[in-house]
Amino acid sequence: MKKIILSIFILHFFIVSALLGQEKKDEVINIFEQPILITSAGQSAEVQIASVLAKRAGLSAALSKAAFANELKGIRTLVIVLGVSLKGLGAAGLDISQETNRVQILVDDAQRKNIPILCLHLGGETRRGQLTDDLINTFLPFSKMAIVVESGNKDGLFTSICKENHIPLIVVERAVDALQPLKKAFK
Amino acid sequence: MNPEKLCFLKKSSLTIGIFLFFLIWLCFPSSKQSLLDIHQPYNYIGKNGMVVAAHPLAANAGLEMLKKGGNAVDAAVTTAFTLNAAEPFASGIGGGGFMVIYIAKERKVTTVNFREKAPSRASPNMFIENGKINEEWRKTHGLSVAVPGVLAGLDYALKKYGTKKLSETMAKAIEISEKGFQVSKTFSAINKDEYEKLLLNAGESSCYLNQSFPYEPGDIFRNPELARTLKLISRKGITVFYKGEIAHKIVKAVKSKGGILTLEDLAQYKPVEQAPIKGTYKDYTIFTIGPPASGGFHVIQLLNILENWPVKEWGLNSTAYIHHFSEALRFVFADRSHYLGDPDFISIPIINLLSKEYASHIAGQIDPARPLDFYPYSEFHEQENAKENTTHLCVIDKQGNIVSLTQSINHFFGSGIVPEETGFLLNNHMDDFSRNADSPNAPGPKHRPVSSMGPLIMFKGDMPFLALGSPGGTRIFSSLAQIIVNIIDFALSLDEAIESPRFFSYSSQGKARSIFVESRIPQSSVKDLEIIGHTIQVRQAYDRYFGGAQGIMIIPYTRIIHGGADSRRDGCGIGY
Repeated sequence: MKKIILSIFILHFFIVSALLGQEKKDEVINIFEQPILITSAGQSAEVQIASVLAKRAGLSAALSKAAFANELKGIRTLVIVLGVSLKGLGAAGLDISQETNRVQILVDDAQRKNIPILCLHLGGETRRGQLTDDLINTFLPFSKMAIVVESGNKDGLFTSICKENHIPLIVVERAVDALQPLKKAFK
Repeated sequence: MNPEKLCFLKKSSLTIGIFLFFLIWLCFPSSKQSLLDIHQPYNYIGKNGMVVAAHPLAANAGLEMLKKGGNAVDAAVTTAFTLNAAEPFASGIGGGGFMVIYIAKERKVTTVNFREKAPSRASPNMFIENGKINEEWRKTHGLSVAVPGVLAGLDYALKKYGTKKLSETMAKAIEISEKGFQVSKTFSAINKDEYEKLLLNAGESSCYLNQSFPYEPGDIFRNPELARTLKLISRKGITVFYKGEIAHKIVKAVKSKGGILTLEDLAQYKPVEQAPIKGTYKDYTIFTIGPPASGGFHVIQLLNILENWPVKEWGLNSTAYIHHFSEALRFVFADRSHYLGDPDFISIPIINLLSKEYASHIAGQIDPARPLDFYPYSEFHEQENAKENTTHLCVIDKQGNIVSLTQSINHFFGSGIVPEETGFLLNNHMDDFSRNADSPNAPGPKHRPVSSMGPLIMFKGDMPFLALGSPGGTRIFSSLAQIIVNIIDFALSLDEAIESPRFFSYSSQGKARSIFVESRIPQSSVKDLEIIGHTIQVRQAYDRYFGGAQGIMIIPYTRIIHGGADSRRDGCGIGY
């Protein structure tokens, strides 16, 4: 009996470890160049978190919450922070369709100029919902890499989009944990 | 089969069963959530007393005070201080508020106004820079800070109607600030939303950020500086806040951010006890606080208008109901912007605005088939000279005394300004003054800005029936009126009424604005409203935008008390 229970728990341990560690295996080093432009898709405050992370990582970064294509001049990486805040949109004087159009134009221009895109989702579970999911579905496929907070990927949305589009996905437990992968991702 | 073998098989099956359950639980984390739906209506039940508040620690602190023999005022003050520790983003000693008190023995209702006041150097054009309104000055600058009133108001109520010492009511808040508590999803989400303001004003090393970043759900939030501040006030009394070392720190912090608040402004602050205003809805009487609080005042106006229509026949959240209610709201907003200000400085035709005749006149103007093109304010030829983002809590004690209290620092995390080493946030309630320099609610020296707060107590006959209030800015009175109609007309229980989907609309300069609806409002109603000419904006299913109401209902002819707490925030009730 003891052997059965022990075997079950060992099996349990391996299965759970494998499941939890699945997305964390991706490690992407030195694929992006500086300077970078950080912008929001959805005007959530996480764009500010990304800016502080970039500062801590010692990256040469400019923050423009509602950036336009002309701000891509001289930029080597575009960082898009995904997450809709109705409050943030209101403060920026934008509605969701205007915001989506703005980001689409920016992404199109970045693609034309061969500027790679790094997508971040740092708001976790509380920064999901239909509007955010629409932006994730629209813009994540354009990215060369994604870093997301684990609780925001509980339903595997990021995992499935990244898998489908062969995008390396780094899953971190908390927003602050994005610092190291961010540092490593840049030359 | 022999019993030992059977027992072994049973044990093995049980072990495997438990293992599989945990495996499924780990693999499908969403199933963890479905085990507990926080939005499921739930009425807390008590017989001797009840506290409902926007955080479980605060409700618990209030109940402990009741059990220790404190009365409703003692418990309300305890709960209010504890909210400063447990829900610091919504209220605290850097803010202001209002309370309605029912003294059962005397069958008396009174109100205490501890709304913030503008500094003595405030002026109607103080937010104008280069001919334009500077929005940052109104919200995150030193100019956004008004003279805080919470401490003076709670101390006044406690001394006049309570039985405990200030230090006793602060003890739990001190303990929670020192020990800390787990951050909820609500706290974390709001902390993230206000991150930019906190970086700007509180700074990266502030306790309101976790090593420079927003708190995640489950993190421990501690505020030892607030604990020290509260201990100092416990020892020395509120004078240390209004005239002593804390006053100096407040003025220094506000001035360093460009503000104009002075030591004299703080020293001169006084709360005001004032008679309640009264209204009726069907068989019920509502007591609430009058201007500069407007929430309860507008609830009465709205209910007066609604009385003219067959609301029950239309049905909850039907097209007709939402249309008529929204149109009524638009008229209420027109009057609000024309008449409301600080009654210490202007005359408000309260009696006219709250009359049934006036409500009937408004109801008569509303077209059942479509929204109007214009919503004018009303003219009263003979004006009566009637100079007579927040949290809400309600308490009832064993003697039947009731407190309904709403307090706020305005936007979540207020101005974001924290006086050095004090741990509390200063309000940005100067933003509640009108942007129009000619408005009765324009900023002026020592004026109190109009507030949407509206704590109220409702009676059926002579018996208290419902204590209710909510945060939510200008959505407050719309939400409170909907909850009351849900209970009275649609026969919902208290918490069903609170959790029921909400909507809101308003007018600005006489023009209709969208109807904002929670996504749970029936699609058929939304479509029909669009067909008749309304613009609809759909928000989340349970959206904090519509407030976070708390209420206590005394079930008629019984000794049973129900508590309802809003799941749009971390509302909780505890009875005994």
